[in-house]
Amino acid sequence: MRELELRHFRNLGVQELHFPPEGVAVIGDNAQGKTNLLEAIYYLESFRSFRGAADGELTAFSEDVFYLKGSVEGDRPATVSAGFDRKRRKKKVSVDGTDAQRMSSALGRLGAVVFSPSDVELVSGGPSARRRFLDILLSLNREGYVEALVGYRKALAQRNAALKANAGAAAVGAWDQGLVGHGARVTHMRHEWATTWSGAFSAYCTAISGCDSVAMKYRPDLGAGGGEPRAGEEAFGDDEGLVQERFRARLAENWETDVRRGVTTVGPHRDELLLTITSRARSLQVRTFGSGGQRRTAALALRLAEAATIRRERGTEPILLLDDAFAELDEGRSRQVMELLRDEGTGQVVLTAPKESDARLRGPSLERWRIHQGVIEA
Amino acid sequence: MSAIDDLTRELRRLPGIGTKTALRLAFHMVKGPKEDIHRLAGALAQVAERIHPCPRCGNYCSAEVCSVCRDPSRDRSVICVVEEAYEVGAIERTGRYGGLFHVLGGRLSPLDGVGPGQLDIDGLLERVSDPEEKPKEVILATNASVEGEATAVYLETLLRPHGLRITRLARGIPVGSDLEYVDGTTIAEALAGRREVGDGSA
Repeated sequence: MRELELRHFRNLGVQELHFPPEGVAVIGDNAQGKTNLLEAIYYLESFRSFRGAADGELTAFSEDVFYLKGSVEGDRPATVSAGFDRKRRKKKVSVDGTDAQRMSSALGRLGAVVFSPSDVELVSGGPSARRRFLDILLSLNREGYVEALVGYRKALAQRNAALKANAGAAAVGAWDQGLVGHGARVTHMRHEWATTWSGAFSAYCTAISGCDSVAMKYRPDLGAGGGEPRAGEEAFGDDEGLVQERFRARLAENWETDVRRGVTTVGPHRDELLLTITSRARSLQVRTFGSGGQRRTAALALRLAEAATIRRERGTEPILLLDDAFAELDEGRSRQVMELLRDEGTGQVVLTAPKESDARLRGPSLERWRIHQGVIEA
Repeated sequence: MSAIDDLTRELRRLPGIGTKTALRLAFHMVKGPKEDIHRLAGALAQVAERIHPCPRCGNYCSAEVCSVCRDPSRDRSVICVVEEAYEVGAIERTGRYGGLFHVLGGRLSPLDGVGPGQLDIDGLLERVSDPEEKPKEVILATNASVEGEATAVYLETLLRPHGLRITRLARGIPVGSDLEYVDGTTIAEALAGRREVGDGSA
């Protein structure tokens, strides 16, 4: 990120920032707007708030429109801008001065990853938190994923509406082709990601914590309940055709349940990215059985794998947005993470910290900026 | 002023027209020659009185039966099924289709309260089993959206027992476009639906 123009995004007012190539440490008390700055940068990557805020909430109180524009350098230079009009509920996105017809074509131009204290919810939250992680990651990094996901969600919503309306077998079944086609693609791409990165994920966990290894595995639900993967369930995510076949079979098996409940009970909307620790030859979910430290470690490892994905898929060093990250880690662990990031090759770092001492540990050589009531002083 | 208010209110109910546009249109009419207003009113009255869906295919017409259904030179063995009546025009303008049409009046979308009962599907089924029409082929020309696809799948299940040829419009690269600008999904569809060259069918 070279330049960032801010207009009425949250409390940041109207400002133009010029970033040093190696990055910057933004220091300021709580509630001054540190996270808002990172949110603004990441908005230009994903066109949504990484904190899950609606676009309307991102506009400054007294304004109707916010506008952001950022330029990145490197192998894939780009200027991305985004504006949102709260009154007209209109969002406009452009890349290098040309309006994007589809949002999906403008996604992922920055190549950024956010590390935030709330990441621990990726691990301790329900399966939907981890699906959301995968959905965002793959939407930004894999061609065709957004289209498959959008198609799947549409078909699912329509099929559920048909089930609720008691539309009958033919009118409900009409949605199955779209459901299975898009759904198998979603499952396959998620599965492929988890398989590719499971080794690296475990290695990150070990490197951060120094000991206990955590395993990552994608489990296509397709009807199977319970916590642990069943025997023979590992293989079928590999082959998209096989997933389709299985999906169709599960839909047929669950037909009566679906009709009774008025909702589709099988499919990737129930899949799980399993994170497990092994204890006395039993594999246990970190979500329920992991310690606080293990959960934080696993969450960091997921973000590290995300950064590595950007590096591989886009061939650029990711911009790291560290939002008071590692605040809850002890010094040893947070030093480990910084070292890992350096070893892997880091691009720019934008980190926020409440105190100078925190910034010293994580980015000793970075230029310091201060932030007070939304105003950033370089 | 109340006549202008009434007009503005009516105009505003049209799709794509907001309060400001409605006002501008209303004042434009008031300012212009009276004959123009009468001509517009006449045209609207004509539409209201004379235009109705063709009882056979659902296309709009003023005669008892629409011009396509009436035309003896049309190929009666093919029926092309479309979602909306304006899509008939899109296909007609190609000049490459000589068969009949059937307008569904929408597409399946339970989220919007549109089930099979809201579409003219019974009419289509009547036509394919009608011994006088007895078509050999039904072309499903619903849109390539999730909803359009589901509608096509649904129709296919109902038409299958009638033992006729059921086809779907091909999907692929738009004419005159560069491959590098076409989205991945469309290219994948085009690859899946590729065809032999030089066999005379192209």
